[in-house]
Amino acid sequence: MDAFYASIEQRDFPHLKGQPIAVGGSSDRGVVAAASYEARKYGVRSAMPVKTALKKCPHLILTPPRFKVYKEVSKIIHSIFHEYTHLVEPLSLDEAFLDVTEPLLGPASATLIAKEIRKRIFDETQLTASAGISYNKFLAKVCSDVNKPNGQFVLPPEKATDFIAELPIKRFFGIGKVTAAKLHDMGVNTGADLLKMERSDLVRNFGKAGGYFYNICRGIDLREVNPTRIRKSVGAERTFETDITNAEELHHRLKGIVEKTLSHMERINARGKTITVKVKYADFEQQTRSKTYANYLDLSYLVYTQAAELLDTYSDQFHRGIRLLGMSFTNLNLHERNTPVQLTIDF
Amino acid sequence: MKFVVSSTELLSHLNAISKVISNKNTLPILDNFLFDLRDSKLTVTASDLESTLITSIELDNTDGEGVIAIPAKILIDTLKEFPEQPLTFNIELSNFAIDIYSENGKFSIVGQNGEDFPALPELDEANASKIDVPHDVLLSGILKTLFATADDELRPVMNGIFVELSTEDMTFVASDAHKLVRYKRADAKADVAASFILPKKPAGLLRNLLPKEEFDVKLEFDDKNAFFTLTNFKLICRLVEGRYPAYQSVIPQNNPNQLTVDRLELYNTLKRVSVFSNQASNLIKLSLQTNQIVVSAQDIDFSISAVERLNCTYDGDELEIGFKSVFLLEILSNLSAAEVRLELSDPTRAGILVPAEKEFEDEDVLMLLMPMMINS
Repeated sequence: MDAFYASIEQRDFPHLKGQPIAVGGSSDRGVVAAASYEARKYGVRSAMPVKTALKKCPHLILTPPRFKVYKEVSKIIHSIFHEYTHLVEPLSLDEAFLDVTEPLLGPASATLIAKEIRKRIFDETQLTASAGISYNKFLAKVCSDVNKPNGQFVLPPEKATDFIAELPIKRFFGIGKVTAAKLHDMGVNTGADLLKMERSDLVRNFGKAGGYFYNICRGIDLREVNPTRIRKSVGAERTFETDITNAEELHHRLKGIVEKTLSHMERINARGKTITVKVKYADFEQQTRSKTYANYLDLSYLVYTQAAELLDTYSDQFHRGIRLLGMSFTNLNLHERNTPVQLTIDF
Repeated sequence: MKFVVSSTELLSHLNAISKVISNKNTLPILDNFLFDLRDSKLTVTASDLESTLITSIELDNTDGEGVIAIPAKILIDTLKEFPEQPLTFNIELSNFAIDIYSENGKFSIVGQNGEDFPALPELDEANASKIDVPHDVLLSGILKTLFATADDELRPVMNGIFVELSTEDMTFVASDAHKLVRYKRADAKADVAASFILPKKPAGLLRNLLPKEEFDVKLEFDDKNAFFTLTNFKLICRLVEGRYPAYQSVIPQNNPNQLTVDRLELYNTLKRVSVFSNQASNLIKLSLQTNQIVVSAQDIDFSISAVERLNCTYDGDELEIGFKSVFLLEILSNLSAAEVRLELSDPTRAGILVPAEKEFEDEDVLMLLMPMMINS
């Protein structure tokens, strides 16, 4: 979807149409969750602190997020996807991979299906969507950005090599800011540069991801569209109204965050082995610390004490002011319905 | 200092105590045996700081006295290769050079200063409990319970065997919160009630040493350490600190549904049927009917299932209960009675397994297993 949250706001509140708007934290300490195309012209990007965004675009209109509405719209577009194929892998609320090799509905052409889906989305939600069509996930994702907004782009196999060669490294799906910077340092700026790298060098520098980079610049991505992508983490975080330096106050806040995470865990019937505590300081520097246990952490008081212990490892840094505090569980065990659960003795 | 010792006798003593040496020692000196020669007696110590094993050998042919640390691995590897023969250890304490003379050769090792070996903990006499425990009581107590201990870094007390002494009996308890074993012996008791939590590792060390023991074991313990004195060995171990959970209150008392079944028949049935259980859950279902028990398992992912019927004595309610097969098998294999009694109340509460008849009067063994539930 194009500027998903922002477009929904502009749709529902006509006075916002054509205005530079940003959906995000209500106070000036929040971050931008989504920016309209009008705001993007000024350099406003998602995940940017509201303060910075206002500097770039002083007449930016901030609107509070309405996640309930976004989820409703997301449901509608996903149900449209599912009419065409069961092989839908959601990437986020407003983005998904569809494998239409054997479509359930519509013409036997991915290009035409994409057109049809985009039209139906517009008819049913008055929102525009963009699509990328190619022969694997990596290329489809990259293509989806080419003719954004309200457009689509098809990359047939015979054109893939040239397309990737010209692609700037930061546009590669799966290469973020940090990796891009590291690659720049290695003299890699485009797909063509990446193609020259030895597999062993990439693996040495980037681990498992190195193998992935080696393949994608050759147009190779054998990952299937996985409709049952399993959740890898559950967490919660809070940005505070004012930076906190007081340990007691932080522990109090942590308790709330732990409770929120645990209630989410309970809702999806998950247990985790790894706890991560994340802090962001007043200067935006971010640190995480995690610990993995041999057993699943079941008891809420244990989770809290362990998270508090991790938080305390930062205690000599509290004076810098904590802007954001979060915790998450990874190494999850997801009990699907009807899977048997070993009961434990209640000591 | 100098002494002559039989190669195989020394090896058998060293093998027994070497089990304590950890392969990830924080202190390099703990990769050594501490040899202490005094009054024609050679005392050898091995330790991982938490547990220490000491053994001694009376020698006829010695000269001088002193302490030296000798690298454990190379010494054992060398001794293993000798047929039975006297070996002469010639140790130069000024530079820690160790020469071992065999019939035909000389083997040179460099040791370390024995004084650097960590000092042994001492018993806090004022707060100590002392009791002589029959060796077989201690061995059975460990054998029956060790398998049920936990691996839980968050609740270290669960990682050991809870040993409880009273004026009536001696009780061993272990639990990983899924299963629990309580083993009571009336033929061992103390003058004053006392208890401690024995960590897994020293419990395992005792399990290896006790089968050869012929006499009562002298057990002394204070708040921090326990000292087990056997005929040829002494084990000193740090105890797990903390309070053991109130295990008595989690053992259900009134279980109306009681079934008696041949232990090995049930074990073998479970072994066969559990092959067909889901590999992740290991769930097997026991369906209890009048004088019959139906054991079943299925793995929907592979469309496989198995069911087997077994005769038993049962006149309770018809009920179906699920267990993790590996746990139930473990419990059955750690019981020794020919027939066992399974006591249940309902499919959400703990099942209890006890010998149908006591094998001998002074023994009381109870194993508890929590069921598995289908989530819906």
